[in-house]
Amino acid sequence: MHDRLDISMRANHVFFGILVIVALVFAAFASFSGDVFYLRLATEALILGGLALSIDILLGFTGLLSLGQALYFGIGAYVSALVLREAPSFWLAMGAAGVSVLLAGIAGGLIANRVRGVYFALITFGMAQVVAKVVYNSRELGASDGLIGIPVIEVPLGFITLSAGDPLGFFLFTLVIIALLYSVSAYLLGTPFGRIIIALKANEKRVPYLGYSTWAARMAAYVLAAVIAGLAGALYPMLRGFVSPELLFFATSGDALIMVIVGGAGTLAGAIWGAVILTMLKSVIGSWTEHHLIVIGLIFMSAILFMPKGIVGMLKPFVERNLLRNSARQPKPEPERTAL
Amino acid sequence: MPDLISYLQFVLAPQMLNGLALGVSVILVALGLTIIFGLLDVINMSHGEFYAVGAFGALALSALGFNYWVLIALVPILMIPIGVLTERFLIRRVYDGGDRHVSTLLLTFGLGMIAEDLLKIVFGPNTHRPENPLPGATEVLGVFIPTYRLFLIAIGAVVIVAVALVVYRTRLGAMVRAAAFDRNMAASLGVRVGWVYSGAFAFGVALAGLAGVLLAPIYSVFPTMGHDFILMAFTVVIVGGMGSIWGAVIAGVVLTQVQAISSLIISPVWADPIVFGVMVLVLMFRPQGIFGRIGHA
Repeated sequence: MHDRLDISMRANHVFFGILVIVALVFAAFASFSGDVFYLRLATEALILGGLALSIDILLGFTGLLSLGQALYFGIGAYVSALVLREAPSFWLAMGAAGVSVLLAGIAGGLIANRVRGVYFALITFGMAQVVAKVVYNSRELGASDGLIGIPVIEVPLGFITLSAGDPLGFFLFTLVIIALLYSVSAYLLGTPFGRIIIALKANEKRVPYLGYSTWAARMAAYVLAAVIAGLAGALYPMLRGFVSPELLFFATSGDALIMVIVGGAGTLAGAIWGAVILTMLKSVIGSWTEHHLIVIGLIFMSAILFMPKGIVGMLKPFVERNLLRNSARQPKPEPERTAL
Repeated sequence: MPDLISYLQFVLAPQMLNGLALGVSVILVALGLTIIFGLLDVINMSHGEFYAVGAFGALALSALGFNYWVLIALVPILMIPIGVLTERFLIRRVYDGGDRHVSTLLLTFGLGMIAEDLLKIVFGPNTHRPENPLPGATEVLGVFIPTYRLFLIAIGAVVIVAVALVVYRTRLGAMVRAAAFDRNMAASLGVRVGWVYSGAFAFGVALAGLAGVLLAPIYSVFPTMGHDFILMAFTVVIVGGMGSIWGAVIAGVVLTQVQAISSLIISPVWADPIVFGVMVLVLMFRPQGIFGRIGHA
């Protein structure tokens, strides 16, 4: 039952579980002290964590470096904002954003998956630039000001209704959404088809010899990442009440990439940890000095030079060892599934 | 008919010449990028910041009383040790760790962030406007062109030809191309590959610095000046072929002319998406660009 991927995924779950516990403790403290600012900031960190998660699916599992993932995050945010301005319905906004990024992801995937390696990185960068510049220059989309005046919405959840204006409620709700995105990603990567995606990173040349299409696997990973980034982006206007073209710019993609590297590429949970750590760090440093870039840049470079597996990636072997020991102690209920 | 002639003389020709001045500047930045990629397989994301460092270096040194014409030679020379140190102590460390493209791209991206903030700390976030060393305009075939832009086109052409001659016609250039083509074979024939790598990176950085000095009198100098400019340079390098010198020259001239002429017809703000669109199209259908790489031509 437990091959290396299972153990690795379960170790990721441990780190994600710790994050959820930390988030709940933080939420308890924040509601006790009546804080609003840090709850809002933590919600934004989780939303950016969704973007980072999508980059990690590509970089950490498929072996594709995307320099333009903010494209889908931004499309999700803009579609959600446009829908919310017309009809303030949460599910309609999420649905519209989801469908739009699905289509955009397929279109982008058809373009980007023609090329490999460094050219893939550059083409994703170029696509995001084109769209960002078009949005920046389109008066219908608010041009450089973006879209403002997005109403505070109510989220009907069956038996209760939650307001996006309630900092604690919306933080917990965002936590649930991000947990869903994380679970779906982890589940899909664990399926046999997900293992073909992971095989691409290990050795792309061998995958076709095993009878699988590399193109379909790459495409699936790319579209999955686009949808995750877009759904996370759709939450953004609900939190902040506006969207701006900066959401599509390279700075957003680059920031999310830093979160993935610092948190740990190829760990899923690391991307969200990275988002939380860097967003908090930026806020703390920002209260001392306006030169936060230099600190973030130094952390990022040290991570690449001295800790290439990132924070979660570095701590993961200890957890994996424990999990292996535990699973060895239990009797095996069924024969082992072989890894790809 | 006179309308057409005056349109050509007073609208199109100045626009095209200004476009050429921009093109030469973009090519200078792109040359450094393409040499670094062609030889080291490194996408230098901090190249725009090296360009800004060159411009600020010129600004600081001219405040110390150095003559502008001295700076054109001095700043690139001062950039060389910066380039050598960067290659030796930072970039070289991640060459062999996993995917070289990704790790070096990320490392130089971080380096660029730090360099940009350092410039902000040292020089402040404000825009500086250095004095134009060649004020006034010159008449060329009935068209008045700012003298400094003519000078820029001339010196840019000289530098481009000089770089191409060094790379394609000298023993040093042959060593560089050999190291790009087959690193191990070059090393076994006595080429000191480690130094060739440092030297090529420093050479690219020096070219970025030179572009910074030359462009400072035309464009303002500010810490994020590298951002927009580097995007254009990246496009030129991709369209011309990563690692190709002549490709960068041709793509640089063509793309800046497209930008200059198209901004006469449509709003200039749409020139950017068009240029990036061309980049995406080239990547889709001919990712290796129009020309091949340094060691393979």
